Amino acid sequence: MTGYQGSLATTADRRTIVRAVCVREWREALGNRLLVGMTVFPPLVILAAGIAAVATAAIVPPSEKDVAALYAAAPALAGLDPKEAVQGIIATYFLILFMLIPTVVPLTIAIYSVIGEKSARTLEPLLAAPVRVGELLLAKSLASAIPAVVVTWIAYAIYLGSVGLLGSDAAVRAVTAPRWILAILIMVPLLTLLSVNLGILISTRVNDVRVAQQIGGLVVVPIVGIGILQVTGRVALNNESFVSTAAFLIVSDTVVFWLARIAFQRENILSRWR
Amino acid sequence: MGVVLRTERLTKRFERLTAVEDLDLEVHEGEVFGFLGPNGAGKTTTLRLLCALIAPTSGTAEVAGFRIGSEDEQIRASVGILTEQPGLYERLSAEQNLLFFAALFGLSPPVARRQTERYLRLMGLWDRRTETVATFSRGMKQKMAIARAAIHEPRIIFLDEPTTGLDPDAARTVREFIAKIRGEGRTVFLCTHNLDEADRLCDRIAFFRRTIIRIDTPARLRAELYGHATEFRILPSPRPEHLVKVQAVEGVKNAHLENGSIIVSSADPLLANPRIIRALVNAGAELAYVSDRKASLEDVYLKVVEGEDGG
Repeated sequence: MTGYQGSLATTADRRTIVRAVCVREWREALGNRLLVGMTVFPPLVILAAGIAAVATAAIVPPSEKDVAALYAAAPALAGLDPKEAVQGIIATYFLILFMLIPTVVPLTIAIYSVIGEKSARTLEPLLAAPVRVGELLLAKSLASAIPAVVVTWIAYAIYLGSVGLLGSDAAVRAVTAPRWILAILIMVPLLTLLSVNLGILISTRVNDVRVAQQIGGLVVVPIVGIGILQVTGRVALNNESFVSTAAFLIVSDTVVFWLARIAFQRENILSRWR
Repeated sequence: MGVVLRTERLTKRFERLTAVEDLDLEVHEGEVFGFLGPNGAGKTTTLRLLCALIAPTSGTAEVAGFRIGSEDEQIRASVGILTEQPGLYERLSAEQNLLFFAALFGLSPPVARRQTERYLRLMGLWDRRTETVATFSRGMKQKMAIARAAIHEPRIIFLDEPTTGLDPDAARTVREFIAKIRGEGRTVFLCTHNLDEADRLCDRIAFFRRTIIRIDTPARLRAELYGHATEFRILPSPRPEHLVKVQAVEGVKNAHLENGSIIVSSADPLLANPRIIRALVNAGAELAYVSDRKASLEDVYLKVVEGEDGG
């Protein structure tokens, strides 16, 4: 008989806990083909469609009617070679879609990361470990956001390369404009985190994945709107507004995360979930 | 033995429902403490309170030397809990599940791997360590969940219905595990409906319904509620005058007929039984055998709970 030597538990490094939860989320997600597909498939489709559209525009010259409509809609393009102008417009529109994908796709994953644990009854053992709510939610937020952002960046890089090979100078100028590069590098992660944190906030209060998704679909609309306004130039994205928008998103990310942390109550989740 | 868990007037209310009321309890280091009560008695709520998963409405508790409410994180690090449902990550392997929880409890990677191997071997799951938990049977999942509760060698392990739904072999493994950790000097807080299991494993038992009804060792509870009963089997069957003779013997508290036997309760069977045997033989009874009749814990449980119901 061996005597009790004492508990082996130590105060785990907080980063270790966040990393452990993140890795566990990814391992589980990799075993779920639907989730993997939902993360990878939309950027692939957008990427393929974008490359195909730019290539088609390079091969097939626009009709006079199309050119007239284009100049009417965007007078700033008047004077440019019609073929170049069309490619530039097409290349830019697909970039808008790149901005939207990471705000919509990880929402489902974020929602599922809490509700899924509730319904699989894995949340109680997790909450019984010395894990703080903030760490748990941060890990879930990062675990949902990082793959979506990385996949979007990879898709954008491939898109840049493809447009450089197939597109006109106008198309290349459009997709490599500093406004777009900054938007993809900085705004995409911030918008994704906002979307993910909203998803987690909703999932702490709602019992059903479908209901959470419906609410999430509505909540994410203003986020998508912000992205569209910025990148279409409806709101001028000069240096000053870029910084202020980024600051606004950082504050929003923090506030929504803080609200999710308050909304996530161990007691309610454990005693009211059946 | 030191006290490892103490509660004082611990109370938990959910709006208008009082789940736990004025719970006063002391559990000692190294004991297996049985916590018995009917469905809806508040056992799971009590477990959650003691594991710092939910906060009490009033009262205080000290678990493993830490106070509930102000040292919850330390309590969670010092205890292990087997919840009603195994709650495992089904897409992860057995090994990945345990390594994940080991990391949450701050075990270094080498220690985590050592502990994972130890508990998977102890539960007979080492050979299936790389398989996803989704492929496991109910019993294997339950054993996994127990391993997870113990991976960090907690001072107190709370087990909520550990053998429910298990086949006899898996149930035996779990009982052996409980006996083993008790042998190591650790404390086990066992919530169970399996009275036979509680009888075999527990040093003390509390009957609980919102609060403690009775608390003692199984042997003392039996003796207190039923006295020492002895069965006198008479062939072909006892006659009424045999019963009268037995009831007249000095020291007999109670005697009644039951299935061809006379069941006798006495304060001291060692003194009373020879007299009863003599009385029966003198009355011409054909005595086939005499045996000690132990009231089951189920009898005790029903008597206590029915007593509470006014039954």
